[in-house]
Amino acid sequence: MAARASARKSRAIHFSVSRFTARPEAPSLIFLALLIVALSASTPEFATVANLRGVLEQVAVVSIVALAVNQVVLAGEIDVSTGSLVAVCSFIYGDVATAHGEAWLALLAALMTGAVVGSINGALATYGRVPSIIATIGMLFILRGIVLLTAGAQVINLSADSRLFGAGTNFGIPTSLIVLATMFIAMYALSEHSAFGRDVYAIGGNPRAARTVGLPIYRVRWLTFVLSGLSCGLAAAVLLGQIGQLQATAATGFELKVIAAIVLGGTRITGGRGSNASPVIGAVLVGVILNALTLNRVPGSYELLVLGALILGAVAFDGCRQRLLGRGR
Amino acid sequence: MPAVILSRRLPRLDRNVGLALVLIVELVIISALVPGYFSLGGLFDASRQFAEAGLIALGMTLIIITGGVDLSVGSLLALVSVTIGFSYQAGLSLATAILAGVAVGALGGFFNGVMVTALGLHPLVVTLATFALYRGIAFAVSKANAVSNFPPWFAFFGEKTIAHLVPVQLVCFVLLAVGFSIVLGRTAFGRRLYAIGHNELTARFSGVNTAAVKIAVYTLTGCLVGLAGVIYTSRISSARANAGFGLELTVIAMVVLGGTKITGGSGTILGTVLGVLILSYLQDGLAFAGVRSDSGLIVTGAFLIVAVLLNERFRKEPR
Repeated sequence: MAARASARKSRAIHFSVSRFTARPEAPSLIFLALLIVALSASTPEFATVANLRGVLEQVAVVSIVALAVNQVVLAGEIDVSTGSLVAVCSFIYGDVATAHGEAWLALLAALMTGAVVGSINGALATYGRVPSIIATIGMLFILRGIVLLTAGAQVINLSADSRLFGAGTNFGIPTSLIVLATMFIAMYALSEHSAFGRDVYAIGGNPRAARTVGLPIYRVRWLTFVLSGLSCGLAAAVLLGQIGQLQATAATGFELKVIAAIVLGGTRITGGRGSNASPVIGAVLVGVILNALTLNRVPGSYELLVLGALILGAVAFDGCRQRLLGRGR
Repeated sequence: MPAVILSRRLPRLDRNVGLALVLIVELVIISALVPGYFSLGGLFDASRQFAEAGLIALGMTLIIITGGVDLSVGSLLALVSVTIGFSYQAGLSLATAILAGVAVGALGGFFNGVMVTALGLHPLVVTLATFALYRGIAFAVSKANAVSNFPPWFAFFGEKTIAHLVPVQLVCFVLLAVGFSIVLGRTAFGRRLYAIGHNELTARFSGVNTAAVKIAVYTLTGCLVGLAGVIYTSRISSARANAGFGLELTVIAMVVLGGTKITGGSGTILGTVLGVLILSYLQDGLAFAGVRSDSGLIVTGAFLIVAVLLNERFRKEPR
């Protein structure tokens, strides 16, 4: 009796282990755990509360956007306009906040700006038939050009009241992490417990089948772009709250960190496979690696190199895995 | 029957004639609005600015025809430039440094091609990664410093003119454009590019070594980036890791403006050359009129989106 029970138990453990390793974020989570152990052993400054908290706070802004862009990628598209869009939304937020002193009004304005640009991106990529990478790269440059032209050398300094969404703590937890947690729960609910969330996976996994069963492919993809735009508005509020001041070059190269977080976290870049945990785990992974570079006094000029190598390594890993396991499609 | 053939041939003819008309109208408008802009010397002089992007656009046309894309060209140009500058500073002779630069360009393109074909990854993803990687290497190698103590003869590639009128790089661009046009339109290799872009699986089953052809076009583009890197470094006589920022956007915009289908299968070198001229003279005109250079980003981005949008809208065949 006891032997049978323990056999059942070990089978159950085996089952849950294999369920875990089949999850898209499993490799990155294992890698992250090993990395944290190695860094704790090798770098004494790493495993301190202050440092880890700093890493998480830095990661918050990237994660917020990555959670939404993750949906775009899952639906089989891509959005690389986020760097410039966060900059535009930050300026809108900063201008409204300094003019009216109302942080919530500023947030609303930033969210609306993000939604408008996101819906333009989405409309171009779906109804306009412009490949999303082309549409969003074009938008990346247009928006950066607009920011550089209108803001120029102007620097905005925010008052403490307007830094509501990024600075300070609530219940002992940094505000930016509370915003991130809220965003995660919202995206999880949307993705796992709504028809829209199921449609996103279905469309990314097999667009032709999705079309055959009558899913509104264009509308769903368009909505993911709107979501991505909204997240840029939210991220702008958090970012400005954290840094308190703003220049026209803000968030340059941000879009690469977002894409890196998503693909490193285990979401397939061609869509259909991934999870809501992937972008957050990926963002933490990027954050920990960049933090390790800083702690070990590697010059900042290596940051881009590491980021590029990480993205390439992640997509190559996924490519090899697909090739070895036989292709899904 | 001849009517059918004629109507089939008309669209392509139409497009390039249309682009040529756009170019002429654009030059007339700029000349009318900006006093002192129009002169033969000025038009030739502007080619200094666009020869680099134009050279890369020739290779990019081939890549896009096969259904691929290369986002890493701007970063690779920076890497080439840094290779030339810093290997020269490290004691190599300048001629060797230039060769090393071109070799790095070819190698970068080759690496893109191998990653795309061997791993079966989408070129957008691969080249987005190398977009960060190549510039990252350039920054790491140069430690964000610049080299600018080149000997005077190095200026030949970017500064000299033939008969006091035609810049050296323009001659280079024209010769290569003619060469690429012949390769694309008159050789079996060119036909294979269209075949792969139309339907890669069919091309492979028809006996085309698709992997080899794709690696070849990425490597070829890498060589052109190497050449463009030499010209660029010579023109501004400085090697720095932030060179060619946003160049990939300009180049892709030129190619799709010239009528190459972004998803592959159709496109011409003549169209690309017209796309190069239209976008470059627009930017040149804006710069001449004293508009801030940041607006160049907006113009290029908008042209890219609008060109693809119109291409896809007015394409007759189903996608």
